[in-house]
Amino acid sequence: MLDAIVAEWLKLRSLRSNLYLLAFSALSVLICAGVTFMVVRGFDTQLGDNRLRFTSLGAGMGNGLPVAYFVMGALGALSITSEHATGLIRTSLVAVPRRQAFLFAKIPALAAVTLVAGEVLVFGMHFVTQAVLGDRSGQVLIDGRTLGASLTDPGVVAGLLVAGAAMPLVAMVGLGLGTLIRSTAGSLVALIMILFVLPIVVQTLPQPTGPQIGSFMMANLPDQIVAGEESGILSPIAALALLLAYPVVALTAGAVAIAVRGRGLRPLLVGGLMAALLVSVTAIPSSAAAATLPWKACEGDLECAAVQVPVDWSKPSGRKISLRIARLPATGTHRKIGTVFAVPGGPGGSGIDDLKKSGGNFTQLRQHFDVVTFEPRNTTDLGVIPFDCFATGPWITVPGNRTEYDRLAAKNRKYAEQCRKADPEYFDNLDSGSVARDIEAIRDALGGEKLSLLATSYGGVVATTYARLFSGSVRAVYIDGGVDHLADPAIHLRIRYEAIEGQFARLSAWCESSDACALRGRDVGAVWRGLTAAADRSPVPVKGTQVAYSGFDFKVAAAPDVISPGPAPDFPNWQRFARVVDQAVKGDASGFADFVEQATKTKKVPSFRGMDATHCTDGTGFDSYEEFQRMKALGQQFSPNFAGNELWHPLGCVGWPAPVTNPPKPLPADQLPPFLGAGTWTDHADVASAVSGVPGSSTVRYNGSGHGLYLTGNQCTISHANRYLTFLRLPPKGTVCEPPTVK
Amino acid sequence: MIEVTALTMRYGDALAVDDLSFAVKPGVVTGFLGPNGAGKSTTMRVILGLEAPDSGSALVGGRPYGSLKKPMLEVGALLDAGAVHGGRSAAAHLWCLARSNGIGRGRVGEVLELVGLADVADRRIAGFSLGMRQRLGIAAALLGDPGVLMFDEPVNGLDPEGIRWIRELMRLLADEGRTVLVSSHLMGEMALTADHVVVIGRGRLIVDTPMPDLVERFQRGVLVRAAAPRALADVLRASGASVREEDGGLSVTGLDAARIGELALGRGIALRELTPRSASLEEAFMELTEESVQFGAGRAA
Repeated sequence: MLDAIVAEWLKLRSLRSNLYLLAFSALSVLICAGVTFMVVRGFDTQLGDNRLRFTSLGAGMGNGLPVAYFVMGALGALSITSEHATGLIRTSLVAVPRRQAFLFAKIPALAAVTLVAGEVLVFGMHFVTQAVLGDRSGQVLIDGRTLGASLTDPGVVAGLLVAGAAMPLVAMVGLGLGTLIRSTAGSLVALIMILFVLPIVVQTLPQPTGPQIGSFMMANLPDQIVAGEESGILSPIAALALLLAYPVVALTAGAVAIAVRGRGLRPLLVGGLMAALLVSVTAIPSSAAAATLPWKACEGDLECAAVQVPVDWSKPSGRKISLRIARLPATGTHRKIGTVFAVPGGPGGSGIDDLKKSGGNFTQLRQHFDVVTFEPRNTTDLGVIPFDCFATGPWITVPGNRTEYDRLAAKNRKYAEQCRKADPEYFDNLDSGSVARDIEAIRDALGGEKLSLLATSYGGVVATTYARLFSGSVRAVYIDGGVDHLADPAIHLRIRYEAIEGQFARLSAWCESSDACALRGRDVGAVWRGLTAAADRSPVPVKGTQVAYSGFDFKVAAAPDVISPGPAPDFPNWQRFARVVDQAVKGDASGFADFVEQATKTKKVPSFRGMDATHCTDGTGFDSYEEFQRMKALGQQFSPNFAGNELWHPLGCVGWPAPVTNPPKPLPADQLPPFLGAGTWTDHADVASAVSGVPGSSTVRYNGSGHGLYLTGNQCTISHANRYLTFLRLPPKGTVCEPPTVK
Repeated sequence: MIEVTALTMRYGDALAVDDLSFAVKPGVVTGFLGPNGAGKSTTMRVILGLEAPDSGSALVGGRPYGSLKKPMLEVGALLDAGAVHGGRSAAAHLWCLARSNGIGRGRVGEVLELVGLADVADRRIAGFSLGMRQRLGIAAALLGDPGVLMFDEPVNGLDPEGIRWIRELMRLLADEGRTVLVSSHLMGEMALTADHVVVIGRGRLIVDTPMPDLVERFQRGVLVRAAAPRALADVLRASGASVREEDGGLSVTGLDAARIGELALGRGIALRELTPRSASLEEAFMELTEESVQFGAGRAA
């Protein structure tokens, strides 16, 4: 047998046409270079978000690989069809009369040559693509992939090695087909059918049949073996088995055919069994039994279901409430990675409302994930506590002394009890810890896979609480504009004040240069400080009412406008701020009262009891009057323009009737994957502080105003978040997203 | 030694070889004769394991060809000079074959020298004439220095010099004690080469005999032309021959040419021609295979 094998190596080597054929396979590298060059030209003419819409070139083999496969398959086919065409087969079979031995003797030389050539080619394709891409290669795209992928990226080297190793397998398929068909032309047509035509034809089949059948196509199998960014439909082991089954089937067929022709039919049981075994591996379900939740279509793409959770998690068998959950099911044909769980902000927001409004932003994520969310137990309009009760509350005043502090406590408690009496057990269990436990119950109901959390705003507190309580259930945590629940209160205070001061400076700069600013030409800071300081001594009346605004009231009402100027270039909220300040300076606070009333139905911003029900049990409030005083003093120190504003939330908790059940505690950092945070000018520092609890975490800083980036559709941030959620790849520290260029 | 026993081979309904038995002995050149389509090539293909017979057996040195580990060391065959890949050089072609049977590289040069292709060893076979390809095929058959050699129509496409070379080669191989089987559809060619003939027609054995016996069987008398034909006729008749006049000469049977010459000399009769006549081997062959010709032209009445 060894003699025959060496002889076949000599045969392969002694034909110049084989050398030409191998040289021709270098075309695949040229194709990669050419296609990449076209992509680069297109990329360079695009700006901003349009660049995110490009399709990843991955490891860079995409366009050349089929050509290389075809050449290797042709080499395999020709190694036997050329013997038939020339008649050499008769001479060969006289020299090696055992026909199957003759056929199998061709395998080692063919495999060795095509393996070496294949690996050279795939690395050639990769390097050429990378060279043409240059530093564009690292551009993160909207689906979370990068335009190119370097050898240092996970799975790239393995992916290249596998693609190269598939070359001998294709050559074996060619050899088997050639043995079966005998004619060169016929074999090449069969190869073209298998490698090019069938994969294209099945693409035209409807979803999901087309992609599913497509995943069985030989040319699509290598990508599915390596768990890199090219995740497929089949499990890696199934894809590998199927990839091996192709040559086994082809060679078995060839071996049977060549034996039958010599009338020495020996059924190739081994080959048949192997093929059957390999193919059957693909039938093994790639994921555990699907969860049994009865999903029902509820709105658009959304499917809804409900999960029962105990009202009081300390009494798991006690009274239950039903939480609505919703999902945007995975649409992709790729192998599903799992579930992204969207945690809404507020507290009091509904994740289902978020998905109804912003579901379109999840298009790319849905290629790999079900996106699941819920209406948390503390959703303002859930209905257990009357909406009007949760959506309103007392006006907060800043106590000047302990007596006033106690009086505020009594007022808060009175207001809280008005709501609490509707359902005290429920009211006392609205902390983020209970919400986190609800998420864990939902995870169980979904089938128990680890969750990838996508938390917005106050959802960050829920996410960090969840990560602390259920570190083993966490695959990834992305916190978008989230609140840091964990930092030292003084540090957190400074971060918040610095954020609003920074934004106020931007507002002032805008006002200096914009005719739309009612305060243009004046020193906005001086005007504002004058107004608020004077109002703290002598409140500014709202004309025609008994209501008057203190400096604190002005700050609480103005802060949302200062932080969120509204869309560029008009910045309507900053315009409104300048207008109502101008009016207030003239002695009338009704401009403030009007827009506050539009949003809240009262003339000052109330301390929303629904929100407080979570804040206060999460430990937002002061430990004591002394802590209040200390924070108040720090505010004076940190914030010339908004001192006191940050007291508003904690003051809402003074006298709160329910105990603090979810106080901040450090994360079990060693049990958690690195987090990704993203934040705007006013959120970034807070988010960075929040994710800093887990080493290796990173953030994206958005160079602009606003609150919440994923849900509001910021493409650059979505790209980085998708990359993190899908591939667990973090952007380097200091990554910045610029605002989209104005159309 | 090649033994074919009760060999039957069918292609669909057509019977290519029909209960054929013969043996090819070492030390002689055996001619394998038959008209086109008689089953010669099929039989040789069966001997070489390229075809599996429906029944019967074909053994080489007592074993089926397919069971030979290194068959080229035992059997050398030229079936079809065209069964080569034109893209390889002669040397590469032979080296591939040699290696598959564990034959050393030096042997490639030797056989190329032997068949006279040493000068073109590195040229691609595609440029070879039919004659050169025949020589290459013979070189391949000789690679393993085998004890059994089979040549299917080896002189096709050879020039007269080449034909003579082949004859001498086969003679030489047989003289070395090898078993040599040569097929042809031309009897005349065989007459000059073969010591023994196996004639088949329509897949059946017709004659399996030494060449001299075949010649004997088709003896046709001696043609004599003499200055005094009548006198000579009387003398010959007196010695027991039967003589009839033919075409101005005498056709004599019962005496061989040597005896006729002696008798004529004894009587002082000058001979102008003395030709021993047999049916030409061609004629004999035609006669033998007449009934079995499958593709013969329609016979005139």
